[in-house]
Amino acid sequence: MTRLGDLTILVPVDVSEAELPPLDVLDHLGAVEVVLLGYFPVPDQAEPALVRDQHGSTAAERLDAVAAGHATHDEVLVFTHDREATIDRIADEYDCNAVLTAGRATTVDRILVPLRGDVNLDRILGVVADLLLAGDETATLFNSVPEDTDPSQGELLLMGAVDRLVEYGVDRDRIDWRLGEGGDPQTDIVELGREYDLVVLGETDPSLRERIIGDVLSGIVDALDGPALIVRDVE
Amino acid sequence: MSADGGELERTLGFVEAMTLGGGTMIGAGIFILPGIAAESAGPASAISYAIAGFVALLAALSLSELATGMPIAGGSYHYVNRALGGLFGAVVGWGMWTGLMFASAFYMIGFGQYLVEPIPFLDGRGFVVGLGLVGLVLLLGVNYYGTEESSAFQNVTIGTETAIILVFVAVGLFFIDTGNLEPFAPFGAGGIVATTGIVFISFLGFEIIATVAGEIKNPSRIIPLSMILSVVLVTILYVLVMLVSTGVIPFESLGDSPIPVSDVAIVYLGPAGVVAIVFAAIIAAISSSNSSILAASRVIYAMGRDGVVTDWFNVSHPRYYTPHRAIAATGGVTALLILVGLEVETIIALLAEAASFSFLVAYSLVHVSLVVFRRADPDGYDPSFALPRPLYPAVPILGVVLSLVVVSQMATVVVVIGSAIVGFGVLWYAAYTRGRVVSEGLLREAIRGEPTEPFRVVVPVANPATQHGLLRLAAASATANADRGTPELVAVNVTPVAHPSPLQNLEADRADHQRDLLENAHDIAAGMNVTLRTRAVVAPDVGEALLEVLEEEAADEVILGWDGTLEHDGHVFGSAVDTVVREARCDVSLVDLRDETVGTPVALVAPGPNGPVVAHQAVEFAAVDGTVPTLLNVQSSGAGSDSDAETRGRAVVTDAAEAAGLDPDEYDTQVVVADDVGQAVVEATGEYDTVCVGLSGRPEGSRIPFGTVTERVVGDVLGNVALIRGS
Repeated sequence: MTRLGDLTILVPVDVSEAELPPLDVLDHLGAVEVVLLGYFPVPDQAEPALVRDQHGSTAAERLDAVAAGHATHDEVLVFTHDREATIDRIADEYDCNAVLTAGRATTVDRILVPLRGDVNLDRILGVVADLLLAGDETATLFNSVPEDTDPSQGELLLMGAVDRLVEYGVDRDRIDWRLGEGGDPQTDIVELGREYDLVVLGETDPSLRERIIGDVLSGIVDALDGPALIVRDVE
Repeated sequence: MSADGGELERTLGFVEAMTLGGGTMIGAGIFILPGIAAESAGPASAISYAIAGFVALLAALSLSELATGMPIAGGSYHYVNRALGGLFGAVVGWGMWTGLMFASAFYMIGFGQYLVEPIPFLDGRGFVVGLGLVGLVLLLGVNYYGTEESSAFQNVTIGTETAIILVFVAVGLFFIDTGNLEPFAPFGAGGIVATTGIVFISFLGFEIIATVAGEIKNPSRIIPLSMILSVVLVTILYVLVMLVSTGVIPFESLGDSPIPVSDVAIVYLGPAGVVAIVFAAIIAAISSSNSSILAASRVIYAMGRDGVVTDWFNVSHPRYYTPHRAIAATGGVTALLILVGLEVETIIALLAEAASFSFLVAYSLVHVSLVVFRRADPDGYDPSFALPRPLYPAVPILGVVLSLVVVSQMATVVVVIGSAIVGFGVLWYAAYTRGRVVSEGLLREAIRGEPTEPFRVVVPVANPATQHGLLRLAAASATANADRGTPELVAVNVTPVAHPSPLQNLEADRADHQRDLLENAHDIAAGMNVTLRTRAVVAPDVGEALLEVLEEEAADEVILGWDGTLEHDGHVFGSAVDTVVREARCDVSLVDLRDETVGTPVALVAPGPNGPVVAHQAVEFAAVDGTVPTLLNVQSSGAGSDSDAETRGRAVVTDAAEAAGLDPDEYDTQVVVADDVGQAVVEATGEYDTVCVGLSGRPEGSRIPFGTVTERVVGDVLGNVALIRGS
């Protein structure tokens, strides 16, 4: 069974800021489709139409500037009261499997994939397989085992995941795995994440509004210097 | 990219829209006005609320259609300005702005009354006014700096306030003493209508749904539904509150109270009920006032955008994105209005009625605007919700009539104030706006009943030497098609750039060249009395860019200049021209201007779909110098007698002319019978200044079919040559 390269990544960029995030990471992901979403967060009391009136052209220019030089599939510019709703909607509309948060990365050679059990596992592995098949990175699968529990469960999970990636057609040499025993997964991931160029994370609770970037997740994403790819958990 | 760039996230669903509309409406109006209403209409003031609600419903219906047709900030003001032009725009803009400030001041004074009256030692006008000012300053701060996460809070407060009113009504219904409702209408029909004018202010707010139309999900359904439903529900609620109030307390004593609802509540809900009502009254006042300030600042902002007032207002805060200057100006005037409360005893009723006046005037003009939009049917007005047949034109007509009836029964002082504001709008238009604002309104088109669908001719200009001639031809073409739409020219210049990027500046001289060309085009058009718009485009591929412009403009015709040579590096006319000739979905004329004058054109008419187009184009070009064109058909003398051929030729010309809708006196006919058709064509057309030839049909594949006759004309004719391809 070989995964087809049908990976589409949504890249949200806040175009209200004059300083735009570097998206060098996009050039190192290989042949994936990229949908660039420029969103302009509008405060509750302000009116989106009015903000668009005033800042529409600047925002569009910034978005074009971000897109320039990268192979983007689509560009969308949205003025929104609700950033998460917009990311959600656009991700749905363009069939994106994952959302990339920008961060400093000049190359992408090493990918960290923290796994948390069965939640969203299929999708995460699918996206990782697509990434690896599209580029030439290596991936480290990671599971943080709580103290006082049997580490064999984590080992089992990680080994199973490696096998799955191999099934998808990824060379076994490009995957390794690592078991964390520090206790707090969040700290572990952030610490370990520093050594990697890209971290692939799964969405947290899909029933919440902030499902794309839930509390734990946003803690991790904020603490990471590098970019993170968040795999969506929706049908 | 233009300012239209970017979409708005549609975050408002049905519930949000209802909360927004209903929450803005249910405000201080229902807590403060029942006293005044009871005083002037007795228990029948419930009917006043019902009438006011009906007038609001009519406005909501018209606004629903306008909002789905043209979702843009500014609400009523914007529709009127667009439909009826700057004069009415100024009247409604100023009226709405002052009206909303009256309303806001009214809410803030009412807010102070509810807070102060229950506490005896804090009594006094000074204190009420002071509280109102403090509240106003807080609201201005919130609006100026913007707030995050306020909508959830707002939903809770509006929910609480509605629940309190519902309890008040539900319990109160059991405490109605029917004796109090007799006599039901002590001041007769006049009193009822006069009261309608006062209480109409209680319905302000449904319009906010139209204002945020761009953010509403599934707008064609939710906009009309939430507008209509919120007005209807609120009307029912108000009518019930009024019935309960006048049923529980005799209307005479209700009339004396500045806090009527609270006085009613104490009868059957006790002190706890009073606290709840005071609480509800205060949040209602704050939320209504907040919305009014916001709406007022949006109106003045929109006026700034349209040039009706200085564009100084038309700036939003660099960090908070709020229309901060508009908010500051609004706040200043509102504060002054609240201060008037120190001197004027009846300030509450006065403010309420003045606000109602302004909005009744505004809404009657909204109804007129709807009719104008329907009749003029301008570009871009395509409402996804349209009033069905019996409702249109009944709604706008009834809306105007009822508004006028209500206005006519208002107190003299209010009519004077209201008329003064209208007069101010007119003076403002005459002194400031006129001459600055381009927007003319659609009134003229609506009265003529002509389609405003323009007949648009696009002219790419690149060469200063030929652009004058091209624009003259284009103007003649557009004018000759005036029966198909308002003539309009679009001059476009495409500057080719290998990799366009907004960050990469065009070399200055190229940008200058582009600007000079387009400015020059403007001068030429001004001399010819046609509407001209110009577009400057920077794109990697000129042909593709032109196609895009043609699509965007929904062009009816494109007139391209061409150097009269054929076969350039694998292209027939040149790469850009080839693209347009191959792909454009409108009529295409390729013109090689070899001569200054267009003079008398001749059109080479052959059977087939292109014949009428070529014939019509010749007539259009003839209009430049006021000549009569000749439609020429050349018959080969091979088969049959010459006279048969002559007859056949005439038939071809007549058919084409008829298909093109030409009258026989608009052209001359010439038929030539010859052995060598090509030679005959060149000879016959040599006598004319301009030759129009068809390019055969829509080409298939990449090649442009190019007849030998056409080739000879291009090569051998000395005059101007126009190659025509129908759409």
